[in-house]
Amino acid sequence: MADSGGELNPKALNERTPLEAVPDQGLFRQYEPLAGAYDELFGANGRPREATAQVIARINALGTRAFKERQRLADGSFLRAGVTFSVYSERKGVERIFPFDLIPRMIAAKDWDRLERGLIQRVVALNHFLRDIYTDQRILSEGIIPKELVFGATGFRPELMGISPPSGTYIHVCGVDLVRAPDGRFLVLEDNARSPSGVSYVLENRAMMKRVLPRVFRDSRVRSVDAYPARLLSALTELAPHGVERPKVVVLTPGPFNSAYFEHSFLARRMGCALVHPDDLFTHDEHVYVKTTGGPEQVDVIYRRIDDDFLDTEVFRKDSVLAVPGLIRAYRAGNVTIANALGNGVCDDKAIYPYVPRMIRFYLSEDPLLDQVDTLICAEPEDAKRALADLGSYVVKAVDASGGYGMLVGPTSTREQIAEFTKRVADNPRGYIAQPLVELSTCPTWVDGKLGPRRVDLRPYVITGDSTWVLPGGLTRVALQEGSYVVNSSQGGGSKDTWVVEEGA
Amino acid sequence: MISRVAESCFWLQRYVERMDNTARLANVNRAFVLDVDLSAVQQWWPVVVVVGEQDRIKEHLSEEQLQEGDAIQQYLTWNEHNPVSIASSAQWARENARTIREVISLEMWETINAFWHWLRGGPGRRLYREDAFAFYSRVKEHAAMFQGTCYNTMMHDDPFVFMQLGMVLERAGWTARILDVKHHMISGDLVSPLGAAQLMALLRSCAATEPFFKTAHEAPTPRRVVGFLLLSRKFPRSVIHCMLRARDLLAQLRPATGATGERSWMMLTALLDDLERMSVEDVFERGLHDELTRLIDSIARTSAAIHEDYFDPSPEVLELAIRQREAESAR
Repeated sequence: MADSGGELNPKALNERTPLEAVPDQGLFRQYEPLAGAYDELFGANGRPREATAQVIARINALGTRAFKERQRLADGSFLRAGVTFSVYSERKGVERIFPFDLIPRMIAAKDWDRLERGLIQRVVALNHFLRDIYTDQRILSEGIIPKELVFGATGFRPELMGISPPSGTYIHVCGVDLVRAPDGRFLVLEDNARSPSGVSYVLENRAMMKRVLPRVFRDSRVRSVDAYPARLLSALTELAPHGVERPKVVVLTPGPFNSAYFEHSFLARRMGCALVHPDDLFTHDEHVYVKTTGGPEQVDVIYRRIDDDFLDTEVFRKDSVLAVPGLIRAYRAGNVTIANALGNGVCDDKAIYPYVPRMIRFYLSEDPLLDQVDTLICAEPEDAKRALADLGSYVVKAVDASGGYGMLVGPTSTREQIAEFTKRVADNPRGYIAQPLVELSTCPTWVDGKLGPRRVDLRPYVITGDSTWVLPGGLTRVALQEGSYVVNSSQGGGSKDTWVVEEGA
Repeated sequence: MISRVAESCFWLQRYVERMDNTARLANVNRAFVLDVDLSAVQQWWPVVVVVGEQDRIKEHLSEEQLQEGDAIQQYLTWNEHNPVSIASSAQWARENARTIREVISLEMWETINAFWHWLRGGPGRRLYREDAFAFYSRVKEHAAMFQGTCYNTMMHDDPFVFMQLGMVLERAGWTARILDVKHHMISGDLVSPLGAAQLMALLRSCAATEPFFKTAHEAPTPRRVVGFLLLSRKFPRSVIHCMLRARDLLAQLRPATGATGERSWMMLTALLDDLERMSVEDVFERGLHDELTRLIDSIARTSAAIHEDYFDPSPEVLELAIRQREAESAR
C-alpha cells in the first residue's frame, strides 16, 4: 500500500489521545465517514488522522455557530470581491461564486513530498514525449506506443512537426488531476497539459482562509502557496526566445465573456504583466506586437488561455474570432514563446494516458512513482470487447472531452444511458476509454447545516521553466451533492483550500 | 499602455460620470416639478432630451406611459434598452472595470462591484420604490466614492489620465446639453416666475447653485447663468474648466507617445481658443442654441479624435510605426 495516511492503531489512541478536546461536542460531533471510501481527515476508526488531528481540534473548537458565521462571511466576500465565474449554460452575464467550503482538505507533508516527486517525474516525461512526437518520434518507431493512437488523437497537430520550443518545454503549466483510492493511494486521473485552470481559486481560497479562520491558520503549519505567480513569471521569462534580454510577457485571454476571465485577469495582475485580448495583438514580418497608445510594442512570451484551434486562422480554424493571424509563423521562426506550447492536446487524449507509465520508463529509465487508473482502450479490440460486455460497471469517457462532459458513470446511470453509450462506443471505439469506478476519497464538508462526507479530487499545479516546481497543495474540488462523483465546477462542484501540513502541526 | 485598455479606462469614468449626472438631473427635476404647474410630459421631456433618448423612448414606452412622470423616470433609471439609463451605465462601468481589473486598484473594483450588486439586487430597487430621492442620492454618493477612490489609489500615470479625460469630456457634454435643452427658456433677459424656477433648477442640475451665488453675489439672470456654466474657469463643471483640464491631460500623454495624438490635440486646442475668446454677449448675439450646438459637436469630435489617435490605430499607422522604429534602430 502506497500510503496509509498516517492512521493510528486503536491502542495508541487509547494511550495517548491527541484529541482529548474532541469530539463529544463541537463541529465534528456527528461526522460519520462514508463506508468504502478513504476519508481525507478521519481514519476508519472514526477518529481524526494523526497528522491533522490538532488542526481538526482547532476547527472543532470553533463550534457550529461561529463556523456558520464565517462561512457566510466567506461567501459574501467572494461575491463582493468578484471572485466569480460565469456559467455557459445559464443566461448571459450570470456570475456565480465557486462554492467554497471552509473545512480544509489536509495532506501530511510526508505524503505530499512523495506525491511531489511523482508529479515532477510525470511532467518531465510528458515534456520528453511531446518533444519526441514533434521531432524524431523515437517512441513510435520503437513501438512503445501505437502510431495510430498518436496520429489519431484530436490534439495531435501535424502542422507543428519540427518546431521545437525553447529548452524543449511544451508544458509550462500542468494541472494533473488526482483521486485517492479507498486504500489511500493517489491515482492520476488525467494530465491537463493544455490550459489547466483553477489556480486563482487556490490563491483566493487561501487568502480567504487566512481572513476568516486566522487563529486556526496561524497555529497550523501550512505550506505557503504565495509563490505561484512569481514562479510562473520566472518560468515564462526563462523560456523566452533566445537572446531576448528583458522579455515582454503577456497573458492572452479570449476576453471578459470567458468563464475563466477572472483567473486570466488575476494572473496578469499578480505577475504584473499586461492582459491582452486577441485583437490587441498583430503580427508583422514574423514578429508579434501589441497595440499600445504609444505605438506597437514587440511581444516575446505569450501565456495564452485560448485553445490551439482558435489561435491562428492561417493554420487552424478559419472561423475563429479569437485568432492572431500569423502567430504560428512567428512561433515557427522562434520569435515568440507560447505557453503552453501548441500541440499538447495529444497527451491529454485519454487513449494516450494509459501509456504514460511506459513513457516514464522509456525516457527516464525510472519506475513510475505515481499510480494511475487501470484503463481499457476501446481502440484495442480486446479491450473494447471487455468493456462492451458490461459497460454499466465502468466509467466511460470520450477521449477528447473534459470538464465532466461526454462521460458515463455506469454504476449510477440508467439502463437507457448505458444503452446509449454502448451504441456510441460500438460506433466509434477509438473515441472512448473505460475505467473501473474509483471510490473517490471523501472529506468532511459543510452542506445543509451539517458536516457530511463528500467526494473530492485534487489538482496540483506543476510549473516548468529551467526546472520543474510543484505548488504545495493545489485545488481540491468537492462534489457537493451527496453520493455524487462529479466534482466539476460546471456541474455543481465546489472547492476547498488544500493544506500541506508539516509534522507536528 | 494597451490601446484597448486605454479605451476601457476612458469609458469606465465616462459611464460613472453619466450615472452621476443622470441621478443629479432626476433628483433636481423631481424637486422642480413640485414648484411648477406643468404636465408630466412638460416636466420630464426635457430630461429625456438631455440624455438624447427622445427617439428610443418611444419604442419602449406606450403613448400613455409617455404622459406619466413615473414611467419616464423608470425608463431613465432602470430600462435596459436605454443605453444611458443609470442601470445601463452602472452595468457598463462595472463591465469595463471587470475587463481591466488588472489595471485599476482593488479598492476601485470593490467600490464599483459593490454598487452594481446593490443596484441589481433587492436593496437598490427597494430604496427606489420607497424613497427615490434617497436612491438618487445614493447613486451620486457611489459615483463620488468611485471617483475619489480612483484619485487616491491609482498611480497618476497613463491609465489614470485616460480615466480623467473620459470624465471631463462627459461632464462638459452634460453641462452644454443641459443648457441647450433649456435654451428657449433662457434666451431672453426677462425672468418670469417659471423662468426663475427654471434657472434655479438649471444651476442645481449642474451642482452650481452655491458656487454661482458665491461668485456672482447677484440674482441669477439667463446671461449670468450661461456665462457661469460655460466660462467660469474655477467651477469644476463649467465647459471651459472641463476643457482646460482635458488639455492638461492630453499634454501629459503626448510626450510619452511621440507623434500620436496630433488630431485630438489640434481639435482640443482649437476648441479652447474659441472658448477663451468667447463672451456671454457674443453667445447671445450669435444665438445661444447655435453656439451650444457648435460646442456640443466640437466636444464630440474631440472624443472621436482621441478614439482614433489612441484607441484604434489603423493597420497602416501601426505598420508605419514599426518601419520608423526599424529605420531608427538601423541608424
